[in-house]
Amino acid sequence: MLILKSLEHRDNHGFGITLHVQTVSEGLLRVEEGSLYPALHRMEKEKLIEGDWRTTENGRKARFYALTATGRRRLAESEDNWTSVAKGVRKLLRFA
Amino acid sequence: MKTPWAWLGQRRGRESQWQDELDSHLAMRQEWLRAGGVPADEARRAARKQFGNRLQTLEDVRAVHIERWLDDFLQDARLAVRGFRKSPTLAAVAIVTIAVGVGAAAAIFGVVDPLLFRHLPYPNDRQLVSIGYFGPVDDNEFNVVASYLDWRREQTAFQSMTSMRPAPALNCDLMAEETPLRVNCVSVEANFLRMLGIRPAIGRDFTVEDDQPHAPPVALLSFPLWRSNYGGDARVVGRKVTVDDVRVTVVGVLPEGFEMPQLGAADILMPEQLDATRPRQANASGFLRTFARLRPDVSIVQARAQMLPLFQQTTQLDVPKELRSEVRLVIRSLRERQIHDVKLASWMLLGAVLALLLLVCANVANLLLARAAARRRELAVRAAIGAGRARLIRQLLTESLVLALAGGLLGCGVAWAMLRTLILMAPEGLLRAGRTALDGRVLLFALAASVVAALLFGMAPALERPRAESLAGSRVAGASRTLFRRFLVAAQVAISLVLLTGASLFVRSFWKLQNEPLGYEPEHLLTASFTLRAAHYGPQASQSAFFHDLEARLKQIPGGGLFALSDSIPPRGSMGRPYSNIRIAQHPPVAPDGGMVEFRWVTPGYFRTMGIRIVAGRTFEESERASGDSPVILSASLARRFFGAENPLGQQIALDGDAHWCPIVGVAADTRNNGLTESDPEYYRLRMDNASLPRGGVALFRTPLSPATLERWVRQEVAEVDPSLPVTFQAMPERVGRFRDQPRFVATLVASFAVFGLLLAAVGLYGVLSFLVTQQTQEIGVRMALGARPRDIAVQIQTHAGAWTGIGIVAGVLCSLAVTRMVKGLLFGVAPDDPLSLAAGIAVLALTAVLAAWIPSRRAARVDPMVALRYE
Repeated sequence: MLILKSLEHRDNHGFGITLHVQTVSEGLLRVEEGSLYPALHRMEKEKLIEGDWRTTENGRKARFYALTATGRRRLAESEDNWTSVAKGVRKLLRFA
Repeated sequence: MKTPWAWLGQRRGRESQWQDELDSHLAMRQEWLRAGGVPADEARRAARKQFGNRLQTLEDVRAVHIERWLDDFLQDARLAVRGFRKSPTLAAVAIVTIAVGVGAAAAIFGVVDPLLFRHLPYPNDRQLVSIGYFGPVDDNEFNVVASYLDWRREQTAFQSMTSMRPAPALNCDLMAEETPLRVNCVSVEANFLRMLGIRPAIGRDFTVEDDQPHAPPVALLSFPLWRSNYGGDARVVGRKVTVDDVRVTVVGVLPEGFEMPQLGAADILMPEQLDATRPRQANASGFLRTFARLRPDVSIVQARAQMLPLFQQTTQLDVPKELRSEVRLVIRSLRERQIHDVKLASWMLLGAVLALLLLVCANVANLLLARAAARRRELAVRAAIGAGRARLIRQLLTESLVLALAGGLLGCGVAWAMLRTLILMAPEGLLRAGRTALDGRVLLFALAASVVAALLFGMAPALERPRAESLAGSRVAGASRTLFRRFLVAAQVAISLVLLTGASLFVRSFWKLQNEPLGYEPEHLLTASFTLRAAHYGPQASQSAFFHDLEARLKQIPGGGLFALSDSIPPRGSMGRPYSNIRIAQHPPVAPDGGMVEFRWVTPGYFRTMGIRIVAGRTFEESERASGDSPVILSASLARRFFGAENPLGQQIALDGDAHWCPIVGVAADTRNNGLTESDPEYYRLRMDNASLPRGGVALFRTPLSPATLERWVRQEVAEVDPSLPVTFQAMPERVGRFRDQPRFVATLVASFAVFGLLLAAVGLYGVLSFLVTQQTQEIGVRMALGARPRDIAVQIQTHAGAWTGIGIVAGVLCSLAVTRMVKGLLFGVAPDDPLSLAAGIAVLALTAVLAAWIPSRRAARVDPMVALRYE
């Protein structure tokens, strides 16, 4: 979900995604490269994202990933899920 | 379809892209660190460290891509194996059934593959054809030198044509260290091998110079001869060997496994040296077999059209006038020429065994459906917790595949054993020596058969949609399924009826063949055959002297019993003659019918020795042999054909198209003289002292002596006349038996398929009925509680069985009638729609069905109402 979310507004490459997650979460969350790439490829296989080779602003070739329609739907679903789970957990914690 | 290479290449491309992607990540991280002020070295190290194990990551990425289905497949397979372990009987039955089905199919495929499908051992074998005249002279198309030379020169349809001389078996002597070795020498045109696309293994091919008349003699040795007689020594090339007293230079050795296009034996090839300068008349009597290679864009039909004018032209020149209306042009593919006699039998056996495989599939499908019914709950649970329909279908198909592959593996063992048996049993012609084996193609066929079978029998349970109500364990959802199962049973009944009918047809036909009177009595007849060499018995006088001498000696053998000499004997046909050669004094010319007249030169004792009855007139007499009369005896059918109701005795007949009139002195009973089934008209001529006789001879003895004793005597006597003359001994029943090989083979195989098929159908029927009984236990219990008698229940179950068997039988009868018509050519004395065979098939099947239904119906009748009602 983190990966999908970080692609929501902008297509990005693998490195960009790690940076994005790290900066946005202010260092709280970090995506390990070792799990990032297998995850990217799995999502690409499931047609949630699409990758193609492009050039970065620095003139380097990198594989950029973009959300597909299915990906967007899946993101929305998991956001909802997450929100409700989090809500539940919060209520539980408050109740205890 | 993607080739493996393209797939690999594509994979390699993807792999390097994944690497590039990771590398670009590292590079960017480095850049980013350096932009933050970290020194270059430090940045590289930090980037690496941050990234972790690059290879492991790559591996993980790869794992994502390695087709997920493989993973799923293995998981399903494990699940399937575990499941089958829970019901080992079912799994074992299914696996054994599949093994027998696949094994039998693979074995039969192994036999017919070289005949029907595999490439002949020549490059572009589909372009090769056999071409020639076809007429009442020979069973295959032939040619004559004069015509062939014209065809070769003027034809446009072929890339090239070539020719060979047909030769009798073991026709020349190869001198190998003093003792002569009888070998098969075949003369071929210089381009013979080139046209076939074959090159000698060592040495050179024949050249056009070798093929000129009177060129120095050269020879190519066959690979086996080279191995056995020259120790596979390459220095044999250039050596001189003696063939029929002529010094011949060996120029090369044929490749291993070389086959003559007409499948004849050939130990030595020599140039045939056709002589175009001889007068046309002389060349018109030189017999040839001719072959050609079609141009790539020309079909056989087109080639025939193109050759027709040439054919008509040469027919006028070379074919005797009387025969012209009886010859036609034949061009057929080399495969057709080779397998003509066994083609129908091959297709039939393949069809029968595939029908058996289909039966196996139906049976296993039935078993699996029964099992699926039992585990409907499990599937429903899995569906309920989110297994997709596709996923469930895949799992069920995987289960069938596991079963099929296990069965197929076992089936390879069955195929191996069966193929060995078949090779021992199979008649000549159905086996291609050295090319019938359990090889990759057969194994591939077994694999394909297993997979297709898995799809067939796995489809039925897989397509069953798991239903929510099954979760409750209720039994309401079974109606459509049992309908399908009953349909399967009906189909099984139909297929096995077809097999049964076929089997009883073949068995009956074989039985008839076995008991058909031959017109002669093979028991206690011993035969000794030999062929004189042309080189040794050139002048006709020396030939007559030899026969005379031999006859006198063989007659003297103590205890030799009845003795006769002929040039050929049944059941093999003789060198047939066309009708057009025959004229009868004071009668209109004989109308040719395209058929042949058999004809043999015999001594007076022939009829008594063979046990052929003389129905009118008398047999030949010893005293006639020196006279100039040359008497003739006709077979009954020939006499009828020529003279009808008229008395043939005393009529004059000319046999060689000339005016040499011979008196007809007797009429002999018809014999099966061309195989065991054909009674061709035949005439016999007395072996006159001064006649020019064929070089082949068969000595016949009807004797109480043991074959071994007689053989010793005969060899001794023959050696006195000509020590180098090889003699082949054979008992007549054995000679005759060879002709029954193919019908016996076919009958045995189809009958065993039918028995197995019957068994399968019985098991299928039994299974379905048992299932029905179990399913209806409650219903039966209720009915019995309400007063139904056990008999009514049994009858009800039997009626069920009867209905579906009946439907199967009706379908089976229709199929049988359609299918058996196609095998008409394999039957003897039995019509394809023989009612007796069909009735026998139906009776056996119905009886089996009753038996199969009996046990479940008994069980149903014994249902205890209380137990049944308490069931829930």
